Amino acid sequence: MKRKLIGAIGVAGMMIGVAACGGSGGSDGKASGGDAGNTITVWLMSGSNPPNWTKQITAAYEKKYPGKKVKIAVQPWDGIQQKLTTALSESTPPDVIEVGNTQTPYYAQTGGLKALDSDKAALGASDWLPAMSKSAVFDGKQIAVPWYAASRVVIYNKKIWADAGITATPKTQDELFKDLGKIKAKGTKDAFYLPGQDWYAFDGLLLDAGADLVKKDGDTYKANLDTPQAAQAINLYKKLNSFGTAPKDKDEATPQQSDVFAKGDVGAFLGLGWEGAGALTKNPKLKDQIGYFPMPGKTADKTAAVFLGGSNLAISQGTKNPKGALNFLKLAMSDQFEGALAKEGGVVPNKAALNTNLQGNEFGTVSAAAAANGGTTPLIPEWGSVENAPNPITTLFMTGVLQGQSPSAAAQKADVEMDKRLSQK
Amino acid sequence: MAAQYRGTKTRGPDPAVTPPTAAAALTVAGSAGSGRPARPSGSGRAARFVPYLLLLPTLAATALLLGYPLVRNLLISFQTLEPFQLIQHTTEWNGFGNYTDQLTSSEFWHTAGRSVAFTLVNVVLIMVGGSLIGLLLNRLGKKMRLLLSIGLVFAWAMPYVAATTVYQWLFDTQNGVVNWGLNAVGWHSMHDYNWFSHQLSTFAVITLLVVWGSLPFVALNLFAGLTTVSAEIFEAARMDGAGAWRTFWQVVFPMLKPFFLSTTFLEIIWVFKAFTQVYALNAGGPEGLTETLPVYAYVEGFGNQHFGTGAAISMLTIVILAALMSYYFRVILKEEDEL
Repeated sequence: MKRKLIGAIGVAGMMIGVAACGGSGGSDGKASGGDAGNTITVWLMSGSNPPNWTKQITAAYEKKYPGKKVKIAVQPWDGIQQKLTTALSESTPPDVIEVGNTQTPYYAQTGGLKALDSDKAALGASDWLPAMSKSAVFDGKQIAVPWYAASRVVIYNKKIWADAGITATPKTQDELFKDLGKIKAKGTKDAFYLPGQDWYAFDGLLLDAGADLVKKDGDTYKANLDTPQAAQAINLYKKLNSFGTAPKDKDEATPQQSDVFAKGDVGAFLGLGWEGAGALTKNPKLKDQIGYFPMPGKTADKTAAVFLGGSNLAISQGTKNPKGALNFLKLAMSDQFEGALAKEGGVVPNKAALNTNLQGNEFGTVSAAAAANGGTTPLIPEWGSVENAPNPITTLFMTGVLQGQSPSAAAQKADVEMDKRLSQK
Repeated sequence: MAAQYRGTKTRGPDPAVTPPTAAAALTVAGSAGSGRPARPSGSGRAARFVPYLLLLPTLAATALLLGYPLVRNLLISFQTLEPFQLIQHTTEWNGFGNYTDQLTSSEFWHTAGRSVAFTLVNVVLIMVGGSLIGLLLNRLGKKMRLLLSIGLVFAWAMPYVAATTVYQWLFDTQNGVVNWGLNAVGWHSMHDYNWFSHQLSTFAVITLLVVWGSLPFVALNLFAGLTTVSAEIFEAARMDGAGAWRTFWQVVFPMLKPFFLSTTFLEIIWVFKAFTQVYALNAGGPEGLTETLPVYAYVEGFGNQHFGTGAAISMLTIVILAALMSYYFRVILKEEDEL
């Protein structure tokens, strides 16, 4: 029967459909499309641009360059690398993009970012904080400009802490655990909310223990999680996680930890300024109840080391509006808008002279002080591969230990995968 | 599909006997005109082309939507394609490099083995469960049958991602109704149990989701097939003293064998390539232990942005699926020869 043959061919066709999963690069960069000349597209990351800053810089740009427009598209961090790769490969990529400091070398190496050496003086390079501008240089070229930095601090609910009879914020980790114990004893289920896969928070504890995620081995980098320091850091992390009911196999964005905190029954969490602000927007009743203090160190003389998160701004190599993009960059880098960003967002600005803007912003003051003892992941292009989902640091190591594996056993699994990724060019 | 077992009705219980309507079926299938009495030759030739003309839109759509991506995928699988090459728009051929990397990697073979085992378990559950529900539909009264059919259609109509989200909620560690229920009936260790932290428990949830989603297809199709079997045949079997089991094996199964064969193989394809449910439920976790081949291709290709590697894995996936399907193709081609 011929119809059976036809049926068989149809079945074969369906099988081939399987291949569609691994297919070509795809093209879902919906938000690209700089309008050849008059509109520039700016991709910023979720949480980076506070509302007033966004409104003012858009107005300022459109006023200064009549007839020109800015389209700001906010992207979620989750899956950003795949999205950015696709966007940069298109014929009309976004003109200006925000790139996380640890991911900048990865994109620099792909050649997707425009070198800015001839314009860096005009962008204020001479005054940039060296710790921040480091990540914006690749192979001796200025591939991006440092935009802001931020470090995680403990964001706490003042009412819950006061109700537990705590009068001062802890100065050492022992004091912190004692306080959290008191809060838990009062019946607060989440004295501390720390989901199992917040690896930026873990990296801070690791830096504080005196180790790094990778070590240099000749010319290459090797994973370095199977160390006593990493075991110490993850055990501390595990202990913090045990003071709440946060999931052991999710990150801080699933669910958004600021939304959890906004419910008002969480004692504290490790977060950034925009998360504290986000909780307040979600639940205005928390006004005057949100406080900030740096993650305490082992002794009272020094706060714990932190992961110095931050972002750079870059111009895409393939931009169709290089002039408009540079004009926007100049505006964003100006003392006026860099200062406004620090003031409203509570982030550390790229010039020390602008730190005065943080006065009155509680998170910003605490965060900037903590940032003095901050470090980052190694600024090498291979690092970007490690952060690709599924990230071995979180899925294999952190969740593994939190769910009961020994730090060394989980570290060995994670190290194998990290080494594999670090060795890929 | 439907055409296939509609044919079986006329074929009768003994497939060796060529049914009288086979020629008519052939006419429909494509070689129109061949079996007809002589006609003026001009219109005969025109009639010969009509079926091909009618096939053209389908073939064109298939070539565009499946053929082109497949050829692109094949080309990419022989390239080193990473973000660098993608952004720079350069083409770097590396021969069989991606293939040899995979074929010598234990991870690939583990994943392939896992995929095959996953497929077998699911297909067996779907076929057995679906057949039982199909038989039940045939026995139920009008109202209950309608109710069950509606339930099946809803399960079938549920979009994958929505269904996956519902299952995530059902099996949520702290707020899931499953853990709540198990705890309520006395299994207290299941309170706060994390279903997605172990390989087998994660697979159990995925299997439930996939089987649940696919049962309606088998059940409703079997029911449709059963309605074409005349009631006298069942009566005759009963008169001869056949029980339910024997009636199924010796009457229903042989009559609807083409249905069981094609449905089983369609299910093999669907389960083997099931990506959405497996990935959306737990992203192949914990620790990549529930990665099946399509998920592995995605994680390597898109997650890790080794597009060439991902393409090679997906091509190998097709080869493995083709091997699984070879029996079906053999049956089909053998029957073709016999005619």
